[in-house]
Amino acid sequence: MKPVAFDHDCPVTLEEAARLIARPGARPIAGGQSLGPMLNFRVARPDHLVALAALAGLTGVEDTAQVITLGAATCHAAIEDGRVPDLPGGVLSRIAGGIAYRAVRNRGTIGGSLCHADPGADWLITLTALDASVLTWTPSGGRMIPLAGFVTGAFRTVLAAGEIVQAVHIPRPGPGFGWGYVKACRKPGEFAHAMAALLVDPARGVRRLVIGATGGAPVLLQGVRADPACVGDALAGSGLGRVERRMQAVVAARALAQATNGRVMPA
Amino acid sequence: MAGDGIRAGDTAPGNTGQGVGHSVPRKEDDRYLRGTGEYVGDIRLAGMRELAFVRSPYAHARLVSIRKPADAAHLVFTADDLCDVLPIIANSGLPGFKSSAQPALASGKVRHVGEAVAVCVADTRAEAEDLAAAVIVEYDELPALSDMLDAARPDAPLVHDHWGDNLFLQTRVEADLAEIARTAPVVVRRTLRTARQCMSPMEGRGVIARWEARLEQLVLTTSTQMPHIVRTGLAGCLGLPEEQVRIIAPDVGGGFGYKGILLPEEVCAGFLARHLGHPVRWIEDRREQLAGNANCREHHYDLTAYADADGRLIALDADASVDAGAYSIYPFSACLEAAQVASILPGPYRMDAYRCVTRSVATNKAGIVPYRGVARAGVCYAMETMMDAIAAETGLAPHLVRLRNLVPADAMPFDNITNKHFDSGDYPEALRRVVAAIDVEGVRRRQAVQDGPVRLGIGFAIFCEQGAHGTSVYHGWGIPMVPGFEQAVARLTPDGGLELRVGIQSHGQGLETTLAQVGHEILGISIERIRVVHGDTALTPYSTGTWGSRCMVMAGGAVATACRELGERILAIGAHLLQVAPDAARIERGQVVCGARTVSISEVARTWYLRPQELPADVCSGGLEITGGYKTLRDTGTFSYAAHAVVVSVDTELGDVAILDYAICEDGGVLVNPMIVDGQVHGGVAQGIGTALYEEMPFDSAGQPLATTLADYMLPGATEVPALRVDHMVTPSPYSAFGQKGIGEGGAIGPPAAIANAVNDALRPLGVSVDRLPITPHRIVQALMDRCDRGVS
Amino acid sequence: MTRVTLTINERTRGADIAPRTSLADLLRDTHLLTGTHLGCEHGVCGACTILLDGAPVRSCITGAVACAGRSVRTIEGLAEDAVVAELRAAFTAEHALQCGYCTPGMLVTARDIVLRLPGADEARVRLELAGNLCRCTGYGGIVRAILRVLDARRGEAAPVRPAPLPAARFAPRLRDTGAGTGVMDPATGAPVAAPDAGPDGAPDRMRQVLMLDVPADQVWAAVRDPVLVVECVPGARLLSRQDDRLVGEMRVSLGPIQAAFGGEATVEYRTDAMSGRLVCRGQDQASGTRLSGEAEFHVIPDGAERCRLEMDMRYALRGPLAQFGRGPVVQVFATEIARTVGASLQARLRGEAAPAPPARLGAGRLMVRIVWRALKRLVSFRHDG
Repeated sequence: MKPVAFDHDCPVTLEEAARLIARPGARPIAGGQSLGPMLNFRVARPDHLVALAALAGLTGVEDTAQVITLGAATCHAAIEDGRVPDLPGGVLSRIAGGIAYRAVRNRGTIGGSLCHADPGADWLITLTALDASVLTWTPSGGRMIPLAGFVTGAFRTVLAAGEIVQAVHIPRPGPGFGWGYVKACRKPGEFAHAMAALLVDPARGVRRLVIGATGGAPVLLQGVRADPACVGDALAGSGLGRVERRMQAVVAARALAQATNGRVMPA
Repeated sequence: MAGDGIRAGDTAPGNTGQGVGHSVPRKEDDRYLRGTGEYVGDIRLAGMRELAFVRSPYAHARLVSIRKPADAAHLVFTADDLCDVLPIIANSGLPGFKSSAQPALASGKVRHVGEAVAVCVADTRAEAEDLAAAVIVEYDELPALSDMLDAARPDAPLVHDHWGDNLFLQTRVEADLAEIARTAPVVVRRTLRTARQCMSPMEGRGVIARWEARLEQLVLTTSTQMPHIVRTGLAGCLGLPEEQVRIIAPDVGGGFGYKGILLPEEVCAGFLARHLGHPVRWIEDRREQLAGNANCREHHYDLTAYADADGRLIALDADASVDAGAYSIYPFSACLEAAQVASILPGPYRMDAYRCVTRSVATNKAGIVPYRGVARAGVCYAMETMMDAIAAETGLAPHLVRLRNLVPADAMPFDNITNKHFDSGDYPEALRRVVAAIDVEGVRRRQAVQDGPVRLGIGFAIFCEQGAHGTSVYHGWGIPMVPGFEQAVARLTPDGGLELRVGIQSHGQGLETTLAQVGHEILGISIERIRVVHGDTALTPYSTGTWGSRCMVMAGGAVATACRELGERILAIGAHLLQVAPDAARIERGQVVCGARTVSISEVARTWYLRPQELPADVCSGGLEITGGYKTLRDTGTFSYAAHAVVVSVDTELGDVAILDYAICEDGGVLVNPMIVDGQVHGGVAQGIGTALYEEMPFDSAGQPLATTLADYMLPGATEVPALRVDHMVTPSPYSAFGQKGIGEGGAIGPPAAIANAVNDALRPLGVSVDRLPITPHRIVQALMDRCDRGVS
Repeated sequence: MTRVTLTINERTRGADIAPRTSLADLLRDTHLLTGTHLGCEHGVCGACTILLDGAPVRSCITGAVACAGRSVRTIEGLAEDAVVAELRAAFTAEHALQCGYCTPGMLVTARDIVLRLPGADEARVRLELAGNLCRCTGYGGIVRAILRVLDARRGEAAPVRPAPLPAARFAPRLRDTGAGTGVMDPATGAPVAAPDAGPDGAPDRMRQVLMLDVPADQVWAAVRDPVLVVECVPGARLLSRQDDRLVGEMRVSLGPIQAAFGGEATVEYRTDAMSGRLVCRGQDQASGTRLSGEAEFHVIPDGAERCRLEMDMRYALRGPLAQFGRGPVVQVFATEIARTVGASLQARLRGEAAPAPPARLGAGRLMVRIVWRALKRLVSFRHDG
């Protein structure tokens, strides 16, 4: 189980990195914790791997009253360990601590996870619920892309060739927000078969429920539709069987209970 | 000779802390803890090249053509290149068995996903895989048999075209149950299924083959549990006399049965080493293992039990199928599993009548290989499900139904309805102890008031485990490998150390320690000076190897025999040195003792080897090395047994099962090293939890395996295995050297039954049960949703 | 070959290696540090866990090249480590190992637990061990051994808390503020539709029905042109054609997952019924995966100016790419391809822009962009419709 032959480039500037990943057959790699297995299985067969995790432009954190911005190369363990600003209640730390295993969290990055766009990825689901965006970089300027709409389907995003996710913007919810995140896994660290993240932010009049592990892009339900009762209908055409759809509704209900501490808040 | 009846303490009086019965820390630990264990993948030989196999993506297909890459044709080998190599054949001796021929590389047809079609040679594994990807194979896909019940139908496509059907073998235990069926007050029926599993030792298989010109010998270093058996089989396939084949098993990273087999890859590597003139190595990767070698445990049962109104079992009527896969594997054959089903399904219970039909069905999957517990995990699940069914039908407590049917202590030894000879024990007492341990009444009280989505359940399992069974049993099962005398060599070194050479292989069982404990028990030599040599056909006497919970009984008995016989020679020499008659002296704590006079065993050794002039000519011509042969007093096996009791909670919304408490009462007779026994029980239970709740290789209708990564094929981790409470009873076996019984497999047998019963106990008030393993969240939720739908309609 | 220099067990070691070499293979094959074991080579089992700059990492899925200049410690380099010495003694006392294969990785993780989580209880120790599989022991001895070392060290200095990450300024140079154009529909939240499941639940059948504002005979004429049909399949290219026998290839991608199926197809037409059948088979040589499929299509007039094109497709995937258990991913992807084919065909029949030509086929690479563009078109249809 060894990968196909490829070049492995380690650019030191964003310009160089953008040029290298725009080549045909090039594939960016950050922590490589998802891509690594795919390389070893030879289901990913790049000509060139371009290492992004060590790029200076993708590291560090920026914290303001409104938003936390994390460099894309921030590893999960740093977030778990509180080495970056967090939302009240340690929301980000708890999400990070639930990703795979510590040895994976030491390498895997938040930006890499989002770009990999695994339908069952923790960051994709939770940050979509938190209304986060990714800031991208290209030589001609970047984009701020809301995560709702960033992913086009399993393992696919709207990123253009050569476009690099530089940072993740996580808006701070208003005072008194509620947060719930529940996933159903066979084992800790394994892929979830049902997952739901829910943000209730009464100060901003926001209520966002995101269902993951659908096989495709995460499903976002907002406002009055951000309700466990709507999950079954929303997943009707998802390809999930009725048992999985039922489980998704259950984790959504539990996420709601977490977010509201058991009190159901009006939508 | 057989059954010396040596008991703990006979020859090493006083508590040395190292003999039989002591939890001696393991001698082998240090090298593993420093990363200096040496597994096949760690070995490098000059000039060695790597192998990668081209494997079938189809479960069943005709091979049309194989095109080698033009620039590397000389590095790619197909069946046509393996001139004179014979297929692997493992025939059962039972009448009606249909023979299969497993080729080293497929020719004509491929019969399961992952079957080797060609082998590629390169400097690195990555380059060998590149080469394998460049080989172009054309197939014509044939209808695949991915389900044993479909395969057993008369109009099914054929795995082996000339057979006429897909049955390796069908067996019948006949009984006339008509009258019982008409009159029995209680009749319960169940249909049950267990899943295909992959044994998944942490180290996969692997082999290095080297042709040693000096000795004209093929030296094959392979991760195996049975080096001597591999030698016999491999020599046959390669057409070499056995003295020209040497098998070495280095450190082996777990076996569980997975490495109790002669492999096509071993045959290929052996051929190539000789043909190419340089060493070659193949290391199985996890993908090859999961995609091509999910090869155990898959049973299907239709069961009817008849009982009287107070839960006493009258008769059992069973129809059992085993998915035996495409080929009969060497040496255990396609039929060991089903033969075991037929003979041990009645479990530890008494009954008046028993009927059982078994089928070993050929399908397009890997040939079935006995996995820890072999058929017992499935059989126990089946029988214990019926016990709970009788309890539910009669309204009796599940443990009371069992107590009414277990063979009682005063009936031991007991010949059961299939003529299994239970050697000793108190089965009801083991059950009573676990019932007390888990506080059944307390859980029942909590169950009575529960109303939320999380439900509690209690489950029991009790079973006995035949271990170290020998000649008559294996001959009776028709297995091509029949164990006879187990041998051990005991040799004193000139400086007084003791070498024990045994033909079994230790790969986690701690036999480098426990066999040293046996040597210490007999001769009193400190275990630091006892070295157990194993895993090399050139260095050790013949043995069928490590399987069937046999090593501590058989190799332990052989070591005891050899040491005892060696002791007589030591005594003869020592008595001369003490100038007393041999029968006036005895061996104690590493010394020959007569009254107050002593001479150390090391002094005896030094004299024999280095100062022979001090000994008379007739003292002991055989010297200080001896091969001892051993059989138990009866070869029908030791019967260890255990009761398992488990409390689970079931989340009825998400189907999650949590194990809240797990208690075991186990009787392995005299425990040579209780710490190691507990380790075997714990490890076995972890695997049994995998069988019960997690592990399954699903196949689609085309025979494609669907869980080819460890993210799909779930092995239990530290969070899935609870802390266990293990209680011991000690009922010696009357037939083994120290009263010890084989216990290596038992831990894996009980959990599927106990956990399934507990989950179904939790679900019973909701009117559903899950009747197949593993019990996944999906299956639980589906059962509840189906029930709900039925309720609506 | 690439020169890679890094610090291994406190010594600087350089080696020329193939860029595809994993850190584990560099350690084992080049530097003969075989105490690091390979158990799964896909990051699940933990046998290969080593320390990279002091933190546990999976060496099987970490590229050696990416570790240049960094510091690695393996089990061999931990021989004199005080915590590991305590763990070794505890592992033996608690019988925390049997075959020994998982043990080096287990010790690296155990050391991390002891140093990072001095207050860990049994439940936490078990959770932290979730990424290290052991098939022999049932974990009880391992858990007890770690708790034993934790207990023995209680009261010792608390671990140094890792420093916060440095502050940075992310000054966006935004070219637009455009929202993403993903296929997820925020209004309904509905992702793309899924195929009907096969008889055993296998996602191997799809049915497409297109309502077309084009007369049936025009549609039939178009369908009779295999070149056009092939062009509507994302990533497909026709290499040669002899009557109704077509030789071609189809390159598909799912993010980093790639496959290039080469093969042939035959088409039969039943003009009187305006129906036909396409049968194809091919293989992805690099993975050994085989794909076969057939499509029945039928043009049904709906008045003079409109018609319905019905397509029933079945496909079968055999080999490695078929053997992953995460069903819905493959299912959704297959549906997307089918829908794309339908949408492209519809566009062509309406006389709209032809689908993007399959660029860069010669380069042997993935059709990321093609699929992406095709999907974008699909989205625009959804919005149009």
